[in-house]
Amino acid sequence: MIGMHAAHSSGSAAGLVPALAVAVAYVWAAQRLRRRGDSWSGWRTLSFVVGVLALGAVLQLPDGEFTAHMTQHLVIGMLAPLLIVLARPFTLMLRVLPPSSSRRALLRVVHSRWSGWLISLPVVAVLEAGSLWALYRTPLFASTQQHPWLHALVHLHVLLTGLLFTFAICQLDPVRRRYGLLPRAATVVLTGAAHAVLAKSLYAEPPPGTTFTPADLAAGAKLMYYGGDVVEIALAVVLALQWYRAEGRALARTQAV
Amino acid sequence: MPPTLLPTRSTWAGVLIGIGTAAFVDETVFHQLLHWHHFYDRSTPAAGLVSDGLFHAFGWFAVVIGLVMYADLRRRDGLSRRRLTAGVLLGAGVFQLYDGTVQHKLLDLHQIRYGVDLTVYDWTWNVLAAVMVVAGALLLRRRA
Repeated sequence: MIGMHAAHSSGSAAGLVPALAVAVAYVWAAQRLRRRGDSWSGWRTLSFVVGVLALGAVLQLPDGEFTAHMTQHLVIGMLAPLLIVLARPFTLMLRVLPPSSSRRALLRVVHSRWSGWLISLPVVAVLEAGSLWALYRTPLFASTQQHPWLHALVHLHVLLTGLLFTFAICQLDPVRRRYGLLPRAATVVLTGAAHAVLAKSLYAEPPPGTTFTPADLAAGAKLMYYGGDVVEIALAVVLALQWYRAEGRALARTQAV
Repeated sequence: MPPTLLPTRSTWAGVLIGIGTAAFVDETVFHQLLHWHHFYDRSTPAAGLVSDGLFHAFGWFAVVIGLVMYADLRRRDGLSRRRLTAGVLLGAGVFQLYDGTVQHKLLDLHQIRYGVDLTVYDWTWNVLAAVMVVAGALLLRRRA
């Protein structure tokens, strides 16, 4: 028997509808800012829309094969979170909401002690790397192939940890605590290494309780390894450009004196 | 105000670019183009995988940060080309020496090539690495 039991389509339209709704809400909010004369980069809007639509689209893939599953994993856990975080959704919400109880509530959440804890670097690193190892190196992965609800829950978990991780690394939206370049770079390198090691180990040994063909397993593992690189390079570019701009501002200050 | 060179920062930018370039050449030329290196050897111990994962992840980051540091040095007129070149040679040489001795031999990650006598390959690989390290060190010590 090839692959898993029944290749089930995971999301059907259920994934696309909320994705479209969120994309429309973002575009509407950005338009509102622009109409009142504020600037809001079109790149951010594009990034957000592509991010959530990719999320909705990839859920339509039938994931009977390991390679298809890995494509989903890369988009849901890494690529879509990056595109969404680059679009600074919290900044947009804070700017578009009028001074009101809902805006104050949002600020309270952003600045709360628990959200600061949740997006601290050690927590997001352990969540990101730990979740992956737990998924692929325990019978959890085999169970998700049998229980659609568990499968959906794991997708949601992967998305949320991916968002938290990228959010904490990029620090583009307002956060309670700010980290310097070095600890953030170290976190990316360490979790990137955990990702690469897991990818190579999957090449040799499938998740327990699964029966993927060796060719499928090898292709999926390579996709994980090199796909992870692409997102890591993108994160490195984000951090490096933040440093470059900060240095530029410091340089301008010394030259102004 | 005349521009002041930033020698230490130039060296570090070079080291990061050197490590990243060596890792990149290893990945594209030997893994992807020549298909000499294997993605995974069944005999590789866990330590070999961890070492490979760390250097792989660090290599990409290093080259991006190194290039942006280079751009910053140019913007400040603070680039020491000698120090940058020395750094590139040192970074690339040390990485390749580590790859050729610890990763290929000690940790048994994978070999340079399969189905051939490795002696020539191993010596070429490591001597080339040592030459880069020595050249980099000499260039670093030379008076400007």
